[in-house]
Amino acid sequence: MSEQQRPMDRRSLLKLMGAAGASTTVLSACGTSLGRTVSAQGLTGSGFGRQVSLATEGPGGNPQWKAGDSVKFLPPTDIPTSGSAAEALASLGKERLLTLYGLMQASRKWETTMKDLFLGGDDGLYGQFHTYVGEEAIAVGVMSVLNDDDYIASTHRGHGHLIAKGGDLNRMTAEIFFRDTGYNQGYGGSMHITDMSRGIMGMNGIVGASYYMAAGAALHAMVKGTRQVSVAFFGDGAAASPYYFSAVRSCANQKVPVIFVNENNLQYMGVPMALTVPTKYVSEYTKGLGIPTFLVDGNDIAAVHAATREAVEWARAGRGPSVIEGITFRWYDHAGFAGGRPGEDGALGLPYRTDEEVRQWMTRDPILRYRTWLVARSVATAGELEAIDREMQARVDASVEFARRSPRTRPEAGVLNTYASGAVPATQFFNRTGLATPTT
Amino acid sequence: MPKKPYHYAQLEGVAQEMRARPEMVFFYEYQAPTAALPTGEVLDLVKEFGTLRTSGRGWPIDEHWIAGAAIGAACAGSPSIARIPSMAPIYVIEYVQNQAGKIRSMTGGQASMPFVLWQDGAGRTRGNAGQHTDVGHEALYAQLPGLKVVCPSDAYDAKGLLIAALRDPDPVIYLDYGEVKAGEQPDVPDDAYEVPLGKAIVRQAGRDLTIVAWAPATVDVRKALPELAAQGISVEFIDPRSLKPLDVETLAASARKTGRVLVVEHGHYTASFGSHVISEIAQMVPGVRVKKIAFPDVPGPGAAEMMTWLRPDAPKIVDAARQMMRL
Repeated sequence: MSEQQRPMDRRSLLKLMGAAGASTTVLSACGTSLGRTVSAQGLTGSGFGRQVSLATEGPGGNPQWKAGDSVKFLPPTDIPTSGSAAEALASLGKERLLTLYGLMQASRKWETTMKDLFLGGDDGLYGQFHTYVGEEAIAVGVMSVLNDDDYIASTHRGHGHLIAKGGDLNRMTAEIFFRDTGYNQGYGGSMHITDMSRGIMGMNGIVGASYYMAAGAALHAMVKGTRQVSVAFFGDGAAASPYYFSAVRSCANQKVPVIFVNENNLQYMGVPMALTVPTKYVSEYTKGLGIPTFLVDGNDIAAVHAATREAVEWARAGRGPSVIEGITFRWYDHAGFAGGRPGEDGALGLPYRTDEEVRQWMTRDPILRYRTWLVARSVATAGELEAIDREMQARVDASVEFARRSPRTRPEAGVLNTYASGAVPATQFFNRTGLATPTT
Repeated sequence: MPKKPYHYAQLEGVAQEMRARPEMVFFYEYQAPTAALPTGEVLDLVKEFGTLRTSGRGWPIDEHWIAGAAIGAACAGSPSIARIPSMAPIYVIEYVQNQAGKIRSMTGGQASMPFVLWQDGAGRTRGNAGQHTDVGHEALYAQLPGLKVVCPSDAYDAKGLLIAALRDPDPVIYLDYGEVKAGEQPDVPDDAYEVPLGKAIVRQAGRDLTIVAWAPATVDVRKALPELAAQGISVEFIDPRSLKPLDVETLAASARKTGRVLVVEHGHYTASFGSHVISEIAQMVPGVRVKKIAFPDVPGPGAAEMMTWLRPDAPKIVDAARQMMRL
């Protein structure tokens, strides 16, 4: 199911990529960080590419954009193995580095397994599912810096955030199956998975809802006098929400410790980011607030880790919010699995993008790049990493068995959990008291 | 029990709860949380609790933020109040609806929402026009699942309902209409007391006709009561105070006794909260005669003569009551 199992595919994709001249294009950027200018080069190492000005190059503000143009922003095939970002990540040590690799693989394998189950049809799965496949470096890179008691507020595309923050696969899968043992006992489903015990304020079905949840949690931490920080994830589409500038501005005004992490996957639903974001990058929106801003290769876990480390230090020091923008790409459709096939990755044949650009971005697989990095730096052997792959798939498979064994919800529970106590009257019946009283 | 200005009574309740719970936060815009007694005693919440818990002396003109951040804080564990100015009650409804009201359910009961939306209300008064005359948003909020809605109509209820709302683990919309703050107020106890959510109060007992009204229509009903008594109509006047949950038992018991229910409200006529009150009573009390008088479906005009004519005031209440007695 992974790229690893399909070497032929990868070779042909690389050939395609060369034909398109993609090997000469790199994602590269700069941003203001902590009052000084830091180039992406500084964050990701010497092999990363040339430095460009935010104001002159970027995917945004381009009404001429056409399907396929995202290849101009492809990152290189490998993550730099030297440089400050590489050293920052490497400093975590082997055990932690392999844990991070496992979290990326758990996220990938969990989602692709769910995809296969949805497409297979045998389990009768229904409801929403927004895949994070292709963007795993951002979730895991951010979480590689956070403490267990820090807060995150996620999005509709948040499975990867949850898994990276320590979410339980059994309870996640059971929620996808809408079972009583799921995280949300079947009330929520994919878009609402939440684990308050791990500081996961929840995925959220409303685009742009994460900012205030994260900010409120950070204010709560300030009132308690702790040094906890909060992360609000959001996409390039959600940056248009009026809540975005509202939250960043007020956090800047009172130095609320929120890290706003933009996952710019260059497309909101079927609309290119180039058409809806008037600036070159989303992170330019808040430039006037004078807060640290990082623009990074979102498919490079080291770059994300290094930027997050600076942002979290800034927040814990009581200096307020920051913005991190990671450029990445969504392999599947906005929601569901149109164009996807069991046992294969990526959705092809979608009307708003070309198959070629999808294939090229798949060659910049953040997991594959991290795997290459780990081997190149002799952190682990290919064999050790394959063992982790197998272990993660086994955990995912076990979660599916757990969900299948789990009881379905009780229909009468539909009037519970709206308020802290008691049941809401069952007004759908002629005699609303004629229903057996649900137990709380 | 001392007399206290309405706003002082409210802030006294907030201060008592903030003392009891050190993580509680009070977010507002420009409405400084200070009040004074006629004796000169001053209550200053910024001074007492510090700027961190009191919006840094006022958040910017951004109601989305004020309510949103308070909702996030409540979800994380800080009981919170967001006080929204009277001209902006609908600004915040999206986040209140989609997050505050639903998050407990969506998370399968994991998330709690000890959040109070202290919504300042306008009134059907002359000279303001349109955007500054709205009444009746309780119907919008009551329609949304997961919320509770209260409407105090005097200083005693204003403090007691606010304390009850602050102690509630669920989101409560506290609609605070301006007109009820003037005039004579009941005594307000010094201690932190609750007016329980879901309990109506019989303001006046009677046998011929039940009149149901909540703030600010209670102002007009009170003016009409002496004339109704003079005309020999024995009115039972009920103020629900809490609209959701609604004390249907008290309302239905009164309707069974009198057989006639008149609802008076300042909200717009169509799909008003009074329609729900009548629906509940009619379903529970077969044969009851019902009538609703409400503000017409027009934005409140600025000119005094139009506003007075549109308002369901005391003369119109007396007239409606007399006609009901002939039904």
